[in-house]
Amino acid sequence: MSLVNLRGRVAWIFEEDDYDIDLIIGVRNIKITDVKELAGLAMSDYVPDFASTVHPGDMLIGGHNFGYGHPHYPAMRAMRHLGISCVIAESFSPGFFRGEMSMGFPLVTCPGIRAAVTRGDALEVNWDTDAVCNVRTGQKLPLQPFSASERGMLDAGGLIPYLKARIARANDARAPVG
Amino acid sequence: MSQTMTEKILARASGKESVKPGDEITARPDFVISYDFPGYTDVFFKETREDFGIEKVSSPERFVLFIDHMVPATAPKEEELHKVTRAWGKEQGVPVYEREGIGHQVAAELGYATPGAFVVHFDGHVSQLGAFGSFAFGARKGVIESFVTEYVTMTVPATVKVELVGTLQPGVMARDVFHHMVRVMGPASCRFKAVELCGPVIDQMSIEGRQTVCGQAMFLGATTMLIAPDAKTMAYVSGRSKVDLAPVHPDPDAVYERVVTIDVSSLEPIVVVPPSPANTRDLKDYLGVEVHTGYLGSCASGRLEDLRVAAEVLRGRRIQPGFQLHVVPTSKAIMAAAAREGLIECLVEAGAFISSPSCDYCFGRIATMSDGQRAVSTGTLNTPGRMGSVDSEIYICNAAVVAASALEGRIADPRPYLAEAATAAGAIA
Repeated sequence: MSLVNLRGRVAWIFEEDDYDIDLIIGVRNIKITDVKELAGLAMSDYVPDFASTVHPGDMLIGGHNFGYGHPHYPAMRAMRHLGISCVIAESFSPGFFRGEMSMGFPLVTCPGIRAAVTRGDALEVNWDTDAVCNVRTGQKLPLQPFSASERGMLDAGGLIPYLKARIARANDARAPVG
Repeated sequence: MSQTMTEKILARASGKESVKPGDEITARPDFVISYDFPGYTDVFFKETREDFGIEKVSSPERFVLFIDHMVPATAPKEEELHKVTRAWGKEQGVPVYEREGIGHQVAAELGYATPGAFVVHFDGHVSQLGAFGSFAFGARKGVIESFVTEYVTMTVPATVKVELVGTLQPGVMARDVFHHMVRVMGPASCRFKAVELCGPVIDQMSIEGRQTVCGQAMFLGATTMLIAPDAKTMAYVSGRSKVDLAPVHPDPDAVYERVVTIDVSSLEPIVVVPPSPANTRDLKDYLGVEVHTGYLGSCASGRLEDLRVAAEVLRGRRIQPGFQLHVVPTSKAIMAAAAREGLIECLVEAGAFISSPSCDYCFGRIATMSDGQRAVSTGTLNTPGRMGSVDSEIYICNAAVVAASALEGRIADPRPYLAEAATAAGAIA
């Protein structure tokens, strides 16, 4: 399994820097574990019926230091359930970045993205050229490439399958030949 | 090759001569620290066994577990989680410290904070072991790698050097210094970087104050924060260190991504206003805001110097009727020392509710606030819902401000009380 290029529309643009992602489902809902319920609550403090506007593959756009605070997992669980394929932001808060990448969920750092898109634009994320393209405007922006282990995690679909594959490879390498 | 402390520690831990920022390394932690929490340790234990088929972790002597959240349990499922943790520790030969205090503090007391050590935890507040010259990294769920291999994969961070100069005014504490750094440098200023802290203010600062500052590194976006060991550090760790390592200092010509110098001479007490730890403000602009509850404790604050300053403010006085003042010493050792000094008696007589050490006040599991209530707090965080209702508010401040606000029922300046206490002490002397 390998990471495939992404194509989807901009489902939402979070304009503010240091955005606290817990606000996506509302802090009062943070202890809910049922993903369907969480998905139904996503963005309900911003817009009615967000869920019905999302198509599989859609993307979220963020500002600088997206995910600052004490990020919890329910917000992005809800977004993935709705079909959101990635978040593209000016930059990410490290704790949020590590947590979600380990779920195999791409967090794409792309300086300039916030000003380059409007809600509803179709975007393409190309991992071969490390670029994000706005299909409507034709504008291409470079994305910050992932480190080898980050890319490995995304290719494998998360930290656990990535570690399993790595350990298996190490064991194979140690196995006697023939 | 000239290196920062960060680079030296990570080079040794990854078995290399030297490393540079941006290198991806596989490093062997000297210590793997966790506290039991649902979704973390219970999942790590299960994944290690079921996904990876590992019955025993390798080098269990490097592991340590703390039971400091959900202490005491208030529901059977919480006690079940603790039982799972105790059983796993026993089966693996991994020590489990329970009810000794908040793990990040107890880890230091037990000698896991060794100068030059490389430490991982899932919780980023472990950065406070940097006060002792350890590189302590909160890898979140990435810690599982250290359960199933002996290593953790990470990218070597660039180092930002922060030099704190000047002299702190009376009534200004380590807590104010950290949040002032956030104000001056910005909450994203050190994203994915290590901060190496130095300067005369750090030289003068107590070990406790250094723990306070280093433990909050995440609110600058930093991976961790560390301070080169000095005589104070060596006196603390001597006879405690769990591993024999040469202390590490930065090379004089080490290359930093940035050097920031902050003069704290004019710094006055601060308050961090809701809803974000990025919101450092001057205390003087918030004096008089009505508050209903106060929390003095947490892994950030709640050590002896915090309890002493609170006692100085409260001695011989009574807090506002109806005000809830919760004082929670960070560890059992600190609580016992406070009792020996008479601080507990003084705080109790002033009307404080004193609890044995627990993390639970910091995240609203107990002393839970309802809609419309407002707290002054030395806890780690002031995001909505952190200490109860989403419609309650948290103002973060130093321990003296919590005590003074408890007396007035409003956000208050502790300095007049401290000046009075100093005058009285002078008269007695």
